[in-house]
Amino acid sequence: MKNLLFTLLLLLSISFGFSQNNNAFTFGENLTFSASYNMSGILTDVAEVKMQTSKMNTKSGTLMHLKCTAATYTSFDSYFKIRDLYESYVNPKNIKPYLYHREIDEGGHYKYEKYKYNYKTKSVDVLLRKKSTNFTNGYWDQNKSVKLNYNTRDLVSTIYYLRTLDIKKAPIGASDTFTVLFDGKETKCSFKLLAKEAIKTAIGKKECYKLAINVSGSNVLKGSNSNLIWLTADENKIPVYAKFKIAVGNGELKIKSATGLKN
Amino acid sequence: MKKIVTILGFSFAVIATLLAVLPLFKFAFIPAILALIFSILAFLKARKDNSSTQFIQLGLLLTIISLVLCTYKSIFSKSELGDMQQLEKREETIKEEAIEELNDIDIEDLDLDL
Repeated sequence: MKNLLFTLLLLLSISFGFSQNNNAFTFGENLTFSASYNMSGILTDVAEVKMQTSKMNTKSGTLMHLKCTAATYTSFDSYFKIRDLYESYVNPKNIKPYLYHREIDEGGHYKYEKYKYNYKTKSVDVLLRKKSTNFTNGYWDQNKSVKLNYNTRDLVSTIYYLRTLDIKKAPIGASDTFTVLFDGKETKCSFKLLAKEAIKTAIGKKECYKLAINVSGSNVLKGSNSNLIWLTADENKIPVYAKFKIAVGNGELKIKSATGLKN
Repeated sequence: MKKIVTILGFSFAVIATLLAVLPLFKFAFIPAILALIFSILAFLKARKDNSSTQFIQLGLLLTIISLVLCTYKSIFSKSELGDMQQLEKREETIKEEAIEELNDIDIEDLDLDL
């Protein structure tokens, strides 16, 4: 029991290291990915995923607009059309989010989410919207307030925040856990550094950090150490490749192009 | 034995043809190859027994059609995005709403740490 506790404490102490100021990406970065469905080793390109950063000037300062879109290719549109939008407005230095939107339209299934972060009251105002025939405007809105803990982020800002971490100092086996707000609920998402390896990508052969993603209490991602992400082992830490296991099989995300990189 | 092989060959041929016309056409290669193996086995067996090969030939024809179709699609079909106007329109609307909401944030807030 003592050994178990010690191991647990040791594992908790080995994290990716302290967050540093964002030196991984800047305004105008464009990453394009191709999402594929894998069945028995045969890959079929299903959708295109884009991750973009841009500048957003407000009355009080400059924020970074992080936008992720997913859209199915024409051949799939008539069977299962996906047009998803995820975006987060963050502090460009520490990637702390201020506003988050998620609007998904997947084969007719529509969902909209808005999180407004309030750091003074340490709370997040959550709006969840679904289509409903019971209401005259056609939508059912649910408003609630969620406690804002230290390092609580949304999905988009967590992915970008991961890139700002000092992974090069972390030993193999190190892990870090983040609190991610998803579907208006807090979810614990942990990343574990599995190895450092070189992989061939569309933007050249890259030395990468191989990280395992584990989402506790989620039905979206299946299996342990089956969901992997490769980040380039340079200052940009670009996510070049990802493998994930879902209920209906395996999927892959491969980088197609990367422009506007900071380093 | 001949009956089972013939039915298997024809069934795989039908599955391969259906998959070949769908967007997941690459998956048609697996049933198409299986259909080809079972249909050839059934054809050889039928010729040896001097029985009718018409049904087996139909299965072989479907297999060849599916193989040609998915090979053609694998070489010539390109992954292109379709209509994005609706998504772009929604992006614009959401962005306009976001600007209004973000204008309420004080600059001091940006340096706040929990």
